[in-house]
Amino acid sequence: MPWRRPRKRVERASDVKRSEEEALEQKAEHEEEDQATELAALDGASIVEAATGERDQDRGPGDLATKLRDAVSGLDLDEASAPDVASGRASRPRRPKREAVEAAASYERPLPSTSGASASSLSFSPLVEAGVDLQIEAARGLRLKNPVLTASGTFGQGVEYAELFDVSRLGAIVNKGTTPSARPGNPQYRIAETPSGILNSIGLENPGAAAVSKKYAKAWAELGVPVIVNVAGYSVADYVTVVREMEGTSGVVAYELNVSCPNVEGGMHFGCDPGLAADVTRAVKAETDKPVIVKLTPNAPDVVAVARACEEAGADGLTAINTVLGMRIDTTKRKPILGTGSGGLSGPAIRPIAVHITYRVAQAVSIPIVGAGGVTCAEDALEFLMAGASAVQVGTATFADPLAPITVVEGLARYVRENGLASIRDIIGAAQRKRAKEPETEYRE
Amino acid sequence: MPTSRAVALVTAAARHRITVDVILESGRVVSAEPIADVGTVLVVAAPGIATRAHAGQFVHVRPGQRFDPLLRRPYSFNGIDRRKGEIELLVKPLGAGGEWIASRRTGDALDLLGPLGTSFVIHRASTHLLLVAGGTGIAPMKVLAEQEAARRNVTLVMGGRTIHQLWPAHRLPPAVEYVTTTEAGSFGVRGRVTDALPQYLMWADQLCACGPWPMLAAIGRMRAEAGRATHLVPGRDVLMDAQIAVEQHMGCAMGVCRACVIVTDDGNARVCREGPVFALGDVRFEGGEPATVGLTA
Repeated sequence: MPWRRPRKRVERASDVKRSEEEALEQKAEHEEEDQATELAALDGASIVEAATGERDQDRGPGDLATKLRDAVSGLDLDEASAPDVASGRASRPRRPKREAVEAAASYERPLPSTSGASASSLSFSPLVEAGVDLQIEAARGLRLKNPVLTASGTFGQGVEYAELFDVSRLGAIVNKGTTPSARPGNPQYRIAETPSGILNSIGLENPGAAAVSKKYAKAWAELGVPVIVNVAGYSVADYVTVVREMEGTSGVVAYELNVSCPNVEGGMHFGCDPGLAADVTRAVKAETDKPVIVKLTPNAPDVVAVARACEEAGADGLTAINTVLGMRIDTTKRKPILGTGSGGLSGPAIRPIAVHITYRVAQAVSIPIVGAGGVTCAEDALEFLMAGASAVQVGTATFADPLAPITVVEGLARYVRENGLASIRDIIGAAQRKRAKEPETEYRE
Repeated sequence: MPTSRAVALVTAAARHRITVDVILESGRVVSAEPIADVGTVLVVAAPGIATRAHAGQFVHVRPGQRFDPLLRRPYSFNGIDRRKGEIELLVKPLGAGGEWIASRRTGDALDLLGPLGTSFVIHRASTHLLLVAGGTGIAPMKVLAEQEAARRNVTLVMGGRTIHQLWPAHRLPPAVEYVTTTEAGSFGVRGRVTDALPQYLMWADQLCACGPWPMLAAIGRMRAEAGRATHLVPGRDVLMDAQIAVEQHMGCAMGVCRACVIVTDDGNARVCREGPVFALGDVRFEGGEPATVGLTA
């Protein structure tokens, strides 16, 4: 009989975070497996034993914060709060869910107005960013606890990196570009390395809006971090369909319109033409009450005109920028490396381009801007914020350093603290040459 | 043994092997030794990953501390020593990142993300394990050989262009029977591993393979032919049941970027998550390469 992996029945423990009930069920299941394992061990040692004999009972996939604390050394612990946390952890060593729940609660909690008052309300947390005012408005009506987001396509559906660190420490996550129906994506190769960057041509591979909503609603509700759905399509109707499908999905707080994917035919179409971009924005705004962010493409002939058109059409925010078109050639095979020929360049290589566009767009519009393109550390994020962005997305850097988004959060918190700022908002637009009025991305009550 | 119980055990094992247990660990190079044209063998002290690792899984290694070269490089475990807390990697100095990693020396730190992906599952009932390795595909086969040689008969068929691309036999457990093939016949059987395979297939009751795509595709063709045959084909069951480890250009290795997908019977599968170990029968080939992604939804 051919050996088959029982794929259908196996939900990866990590794909969807478990509820308490499910956790119990799964535990019971594990006990069954353990019994089976014992039989295996008795009957003759094998790799089966190797695979099962050493399972660490204490570590669930939800045990994120603890893992993170192990991974990130040199956290500067809040003296007053440390004993609290220590005793709390000692009393319930087998409840990894706890910390995730608390983290979620911290997001629900009314946000502290100044840094002084917040210390006590966040006293359970020994995190670097605790007690520092990092709140920003990433788009009109979208207030986040800090300005660090993940870039679409580099963070999956948020659950994958949750295995490695506590994603609830991020301001928000942006999911993989979602289309009305499933897409298999582009032929291989889909990725190529370039100096300080990568070229990709994935082709919006995704299971379709309905499947995403069904599969991840529960996980998103439990992640403890707001989710922004990246919406992609070929027609105005496509964008509207996705938004309609995703409405009501728990955890979703806003939409980012991907009018700028360079890797699918027609994907960049909407982002290059101010009129079309405005049409899409208007149609989606009519469909939802949630904030709508439009992701700009640097490949547009006049990106500022597109930005203005989106603002006029009612966009609540803009993301600058998507990837830059590029190509690499395999000199042995004498053809492009990527299956589709060209692809989108991302990573530190495009950071100056992204900062420049952010700077120009910030002068042209009054809605908040989310900067994206090669952010690897707090210093990079500060460039975008000072250029006029209210938040940043960390993308490609995560591939090299999975903890990069967290590093940025911590770095920004240190910057605010060390420079005696009241809040991170004080530096938004600081590098703009003319500041006739207060920075327009200023946080509003 | 009742079949149902055997199935239950395999299921339990299969479930465990895809339990995600990935960590970031700073390893320290214990030794670095170049072996002919095979690559550099790095022994790295990384107790966290060593205790979690299984044959077939891989570790994603960061080439430096900066972002140029940017992407981590995936390396299959070439050795797992849980007791000493060490892992062994076989590194070919390919590209800037590969060169950087291959040039690490004793005492150097190495940023590791792993263990990642699925691992081989050896059936308890298997008494004669047949391992097939092409080029650097030796890595997971060597781990299997080391783990299984004490428990069952292990035959390792390894191929390379010349003797310089072959893993040195004295670095294999003495109990392992090995067969070598070289394309010019300079050492062992002349030809490719698939030329030497048929005679060993009939003795084996489980087959695991790792190597370049053309080699895996050739084994896939053998399987398809055996599946179609109306007469009795020796080793048919072994081929039908074979497991392979594949490679693909990889980005994040965490399952988010979808750069490393291949086509399987279940649609697209990520080599970093659903793989790198697949059931041979699940993987779709096209000529000597993985089937083109995107033709089917």
